[in-house]
Amino acid sequence: MKNFVIIGNSAAGISAAEAIRQKDKKSKITIISEEDYHSYCRCLISYFLAGEIPEEKLVFRPEDFYKENNLNLILNKKVVKVEPKKNIIKFEDKTSLGYDMLLIATGASSKFPPDLKGLKKKGVFGLRTIRDAKEILNLVPSSSSSCILGGGLVSLKAAYGLLKRGQELKIIVKSKFVLSQMLDEKGAGLFMKKFQEAGVEIMTARDIVEILGNGDLKAVRLDSGKVIACSILVVGKGVNPNTDLIKDTQLNLDKGILVDQYMKSSIPNIFAAGDVAQTFDLVYKNSVVNALWPNAIEQGRISGLNMIGENLKYDGSMTMNSIGFFDLPAISMGITRPKNPELEELVLFDEKRNICKKFVLDKNHLVGMIAIGDISNCGVFLRLIKEGTDITSIKNELVSETFSYAKVLDLVKHKDEVFIL
Amino acid sequence: MKKLYYDVKKCLGCKSCEIACAVAHSQNKDLFKALKEEMLSLPRKKIHRSGDKNFPNSCRHCQEHPCVDACMAGALVYDQESNMVLHDEARCVGCWMCVMVCPYGSIRPNLKSKIPIRCDKCKDEDEPACVRACPTGAIIWKEADEENLLSSNKTE
Ligand SMILES: Cc1cc2nc3c(=O)[nH]c(=O)nc-3n(C[C@H](O)[C@H](O)[C@H](O)COP(=O)(O)OP(=O)(O)OC[C@H]3O[C@@H](n4cnc5c(N)ncnc54)[C@H](O)[C@@H]3O)c2cc1C
Repeated sequence: MKNFVIIGNSAAGISAAEAIRQKDKKSKITIISEEDYHSYCRCLISYFLAGEIPEEKLVFRPEDFYKENNLNLILNKKVVKVEPKKNIIKFEDKTSLGYDMLLIATGASSKFPPDLKGLKKKGVFGLRTIRDAKEILNLVPSSSSSCILGGGLVSLKAAYGLLKRGQELKIIVKSKFVLSQMLDEKGAGLFMKKFQEAGVEIMTARDIVEILGNGDLKAVRLDSGKVIACSILVVGKGVNPNTDLIKDTQLNLDKGILVDQYMKSSIPNIFAAGDVAQTFDLVYKNSVVNALWPNAIEQGRISGLNMIGENLKYDGSMTMNSIGFFDLPAISMGITRPKNPELEELVLFDEKRNICKKFVLDKNHLVGMIAIGDISNCGVFLRLIKEGTDITSIKNELVSETFSYAKVLDLVKHKDEVFIL
Repeated sequence: MKKLYYDVKKCLGCKSCEIACAVAHSQNKDLFKALKEEMLSLPRKKIHRSGDKNFPNSCRHCQEHPCVDACMAGALVYDQESNMVLHDEARCVGCWMCVMVCPYGSIRPNLKSKIPIRCDKCKDEDEPACVRACPTGAIIWKEADEENLLSSNKTE
């Protein structure tokens, strides 16, 4: 019998708890969250903001999940300090809790530009928690015009949600185009057009320099000098891993908590997983935080299993995402805008049909791709990237509409095959 | 647990399985009525051609199931009892994370209904509609135990 403590009640934490419970029915497992909520998926809060799904559907595990799995859930309590020498964690209310094995799965928080004045005004939000979404929704009835700072995935999701709520919308983005982490300029152009057609103004190569208003947000001032009136501002400038609780400990920390191939931190009985963990990137071959839902689930599971003594290796994480706005879907993964001129690009761009496909190759290997409009087979491409498959023989088939798993059957590693040849 | 296997030598690529699948999953279960339904029923199985061979492709209900891991809505779950990946359509938000990670490209997005198209092995019937529809016996519905035998014969 062991005493497992998991800080974080989201993708990584829950997946770890499930993994532990699958093999160990007896040990004590405690899950802690500073939020006051059942398991909910934060990726869905923009759908909730948009009014596309009711609040109940944010919850991604059944009502009786904690009871069924005999998990001790502590909500609404913030952990402020981990003390590895004593094997205890300390809460904000000065109480503490001991552990044999600890998983830090505290995720990340919205990042705000440190020099931007006026961030504290009422009406300025990040979009990270169910609480953020509810607070934004509270202001919607009294607001007609909203601004979004940043052009990433969360920014556009916030914009989409607020648009559905009837807000007049402006997106202010520093780069030349939106979704610059996922797409290239041409592909992003297809989405910019969709947003513009829906009446959203996208101001590229611009930044907000000041947030104006007395207590309540009234307007934002851009670097061009222009002042835009608005009563809601959503800042989508990325996230910071929640690492405050391990400050002044011996845990190795870079941007996120550094873990080894087993998801173990620099202290043997402390693991980290999800948006707070820094892992090896399979494509870029460096150590980064790839703050994404599927990564958090996988890392959570591997940490959980290793915490009960299995020796599972984590291959590494990857950037990948799937989005959809105004019925236009897109998936991208790995390197999408290569800086290295030695990488080859294969591109199909059909503006009329809103279809774009781009493959990035490093010699004989696929290292990234973008698919817009037609997103079928993306999982096969992901597999080719992850397995480092030599794709010389099918290079010309990649952008073709007739591409399928059958074309790579001879190239990939087989687990359980269903074909009798 | 029964699984679907495909004898590639026997598959003519006639797409009878595709049609049978679409009809079986339509509201009316009848070809001509199905064609008139508002949300056209799409086949959950697709025949892919490579070289001179045809490969029927549909969800394999993998034991390791990246689609379930990636599903942020909790709509996809692996049912330990039936050994199937089940999909709760009411929970699905059409985010296509499952399409992004399916290693076989077996989950296709239905962009209209915003619900992924996945084989459910016709779970309420005795055997999947595609099996019955295949004129050459290329689609084999049998216990999965012999699977190792089949895959070892494949890797040679
Ligand atoms: C609007 C939005 C859209 C997104 N869309 C996508 C998408 O399309 N695809 C995708 O892959 N990813 C998406 N993401 C990212 C995805 O949500 C995260 O990668 C995922 O939630 C990470 O899970 P996690 O368990 O690591 O951490 P988190 O989900 O951040 O959860 C952290 C947990 O730790 C708790 N916690 C934190 N600090 C403390 C503390 N000090 N004490 C106690 N408890 C604490 C929190 O309450 C929470 O329970 C999106 C995120 C947002 C906000």
